[in-house]
Amino acid sequence: MLKDKIEKLLLQVRTPSRYIGGELNSVVKDKSKVDMRFAFCFPDTYEIGMSHLGMKILYSLTNERENFWCERVFAPDVDFEKLMRENGIPLYGLESLEPVKDFDFIGFTVQFEMCYTNILNMLDLAGVPVRAADRKELSPIVVAGGPCVCNPEPLADFIDLFIIGEGEEVNLELYDLYVEMKKKGSSKQEFLEAAAGIEGIYVPSFYNVTYEEDGRVKSFTPNNACAAPVVRKRIIKDMDKVFYPDTFVVPYCEIVHDRAIVEVLRGCIRGCRFCQAGYIYRPFREKTTDTVCNETKALCESTGYEEVSLSSLSTSDFSDIENMLVKLSDYTEKERVNLSLPSMRIDRFSRELMEQIQKVRKSGLTFAPEAGTQRLRDVINKNITEDEIFRACRLAFEGGYDAVKLYFMLGLPTETDEDITGIADLARRITGLFSEVTGKPGKRLKISISCATFVPKPFTPFEFEPQATEAEIRHKQDVLLDAARNQKNVSVSWSKYKVSVMEAVLARGDRRLCNVVYDAWQNGCKFDGWDEHYNYEGWVKAFEKNGLDMDFYACRKRDFDELFPWDHLDYYVSKQFLVRENRTAHEGVTTPNCREKCAGCGVSKCIGGSCFG
Amino acid sequence: MDEKYEVRGVFEKKDRAVFISHLDLFRTMQRAMKRSGIPVWYSQGFNPRIYLNFPLALSLGVESCTEIMDFEVTEMLPYEDMLKALNRVLPEGLHFISMAAPVCKNKDIAFAEYEFEFSAEGINGEALAAAFDRFMALDKIEVEKHSKKKGTVLIDIKPHINVVSSEITGDHFKDAIILPAGMELNINSNVFNEAFIRYGGINNVEISTKRTKILKNDGEKFA
Repeated sequence: MLKDKIEKLLLQVRTPSRYIGGELNSVVKDKSKVDMRFAFCFPDTYEIGMSHLGMKILYSLTNERENFWCERVFAPDVDFEKLMRENGIPLYGLESLEPVKDFDFIGFTVQFEMCYTNILNMLDLAGVPVRAADRKELSPIVVAGGPCVCNPEPLADFIDLFIIGEGEEVNLELYDLYVEMKKKGSSKQEFLEAAAGIEGIYVPSFYNVTYEEDGRVKSFTPNNACAAPVVRKRIIKDMDKVFYPDTFVVPYCEIVHDRAIVEVLRGCIRGCRFCQAGYIYRPFREKTTDTVCNETKALCESTGYEEVSLSSLSTSDFSDIENMLVKLSDYTEKERVNLSLPSMRIDRFSRELMEQIQKVRKSGLTFAPEAGTQRLRDVINKNITEDEIFRACRLAFEGGYDAVKLYFMLGLPTETDEDITGIADLARRITGLFSEVTGKPGKRLKISISCATFVPKPFTPFEFEPQATEAEIRHKQDVLLDAARNQKNVSVSWSKYKVSVMEAVLARGDRRLCNVVYDAWQNGCKFDGWDEHYNYEGWVKAFEKNGLDMDFYACRKRDFDELFPWDHLDYYVSKQFLVRENRTAHEGVTTPNCREKCAGCGVSKCIGGSCFG
Repeated sequence: MDEKYEVRGVFEKKDRAVFISHLDLFRTMQRAMKRSGIPVWYSQGFNPRIYLNFPLALSLGVESCTEIMDFEVTEMLPYEDMLKALNRVLPEGLHFISMAAPVCKNKDIAFAEYEFEFSAEGINGEALAAAFDRFMALDKIEVEKHSKKKGTVLIDIKPHINVVSSEITGDHFKDAIILPAGMELNINSNVFNEAFIRYGGINNVEISTKRTKILKNDGEKFA
């Protein structure tokens, strides 16, 4: 039995409880009584994957159906992977402790470009050919969904079909179809052809791509009568009625977000021009306060968690937020459950909200102005004014906070040295405000400035923009360090350019990158999002071998009429809108949030013409 | 101060639960307490937590039928009811056997008894028993012991190994051993295992360990 083999090795690895299952609320079924077994794979470690809300939703949704069995699978850490390979233990599901290669589906949720090599590694560890074309049988069918599959092309060779958009409905439709066709004895090809008829299902092998001599995509054409020229994403129309789990699997070891999570809304009204999530998760839909309260209570009771987080892209935009917090705290205070509110916007930061947050723990305060000057904040449509930043900081300092974390991006479109020195200047004035409010010396305030490198992403108004080159980013970092030099209470850190550039390459990559991803994995690349494992050289060699140029993908300015590798996928947000927003950005003009005024992105047509009221 | 009552629970930790570390066990039990609805007492202070105390930690990978967990309740309920309420919500491998008011003090813990089961591919029970006898006949059994205060020190554990019984069953060799435990001198079962792996002369030996008793200085059960 695989279980005995696994147990024998567990005392040799870090945090063994990650690899043996048996956690509270994990779902074990009799495999002889189910029609479909699904291996839900998260291509990163247990601690990261177990924190992911989408996986919890789809796990419970699938297991609600008596004839389906969904199991969890995570990427084993390098120490255990080594032992697995040495001892002939294939990738297995945590519920049954049986090999996933015997399942009907192997499904990946793709949250981050830097996990692509892990997907290949997990397929290989499962003992399944990594390329779709080498998998001839009906099962296992390898599927993938999640935000990154809005441009799935760099994974097109490895995945049999992609699930585009929200999964709560389309996944069940897909499984039902599979069960029906498996009973009929259908082939893999027959199943894929039928699946392509479901809205939201994209079968990459049903399309041919041709390229211009300079490497741009020339054409993208279906090669199978069952494939639609354009595949449209799925959305859930009624957010308040959509399935939500009343229980989570409760891990033994500490995970990144070790708490109950209640999703309060989907989509975002803000339209920050750099933010992919703000566009691909449209339209904005909310749950009712009652639903949020009921889901909170159910989850806390079934898990024993003493903390609940209200999750969304921008929780403070929940239209009934104040009333909801009052109602929720009736329950949470009685039960000693802490309420945490991530993703609060600076302009909605009120004394009441701060008091709510403080009930949990008075820790540092984190704001994301993203850019150092108002001009650049207007370009990226981060509709926050300096007054709002100072008002929020004033409230925080009056409330006793003495640490502020500020997030910025470097390399934003139109950015100048003045925008960079603006970051240091903003920090200086925040320090001044602290002294003014508290009467304490400025050095008592700790300011951490954290800078990410801007990565242009598909389906955003900046999808046409070049990423800054390494030399440009180095220059910007020097300018910032120089400008912040005299501020002893300010620390500055940034993300690694060599990671950001690969993220940019993969985010807007085409199908030719499949071979690069494959070769990078062959060169030993995995866990690319982890500093200690990232192997940039492995990627460089893979690009060289395939005669492709990273800068072509990352640092090239695209024309508005260029055919992009993801243009055959429809996320309802129209390209005309993205072009319009790009032009407006370069004029330094902001676009009001969706609740204030519809910007005509095109998404409202999917929910009957209007996102609000 | 509100009234509160001390409760001592004895629980099993077996099967997959042996891979739960001590720190994780703490969190697991806190959450189980929360789910059980037992009126458990919270520690006071800025960040109130469910108060739990485990007087003797168990090493990762070791099974036990005698683990102790102390907690306090703000309202006294029948022990049997609390036992059932908690067992209903515990994950696989964790199970309470009894609950009662504590009799002994934590510092009374002096020894723990373990059952070690030895096996090795291609080696029968007799050969394992012989190896064990040779091991116990060594002049000294020196192991490195790590402590925060003294750093790493070399100690001879031989005088502290008290073999209670042993038995050969087919290809396995089993013995019951008492080791010092608690605040005075604590010899972890893993320390014994490592010593046997090092000096026992059998390269591929596998040892499964189970804690069976927690004892006071006079040899009576800690309760």
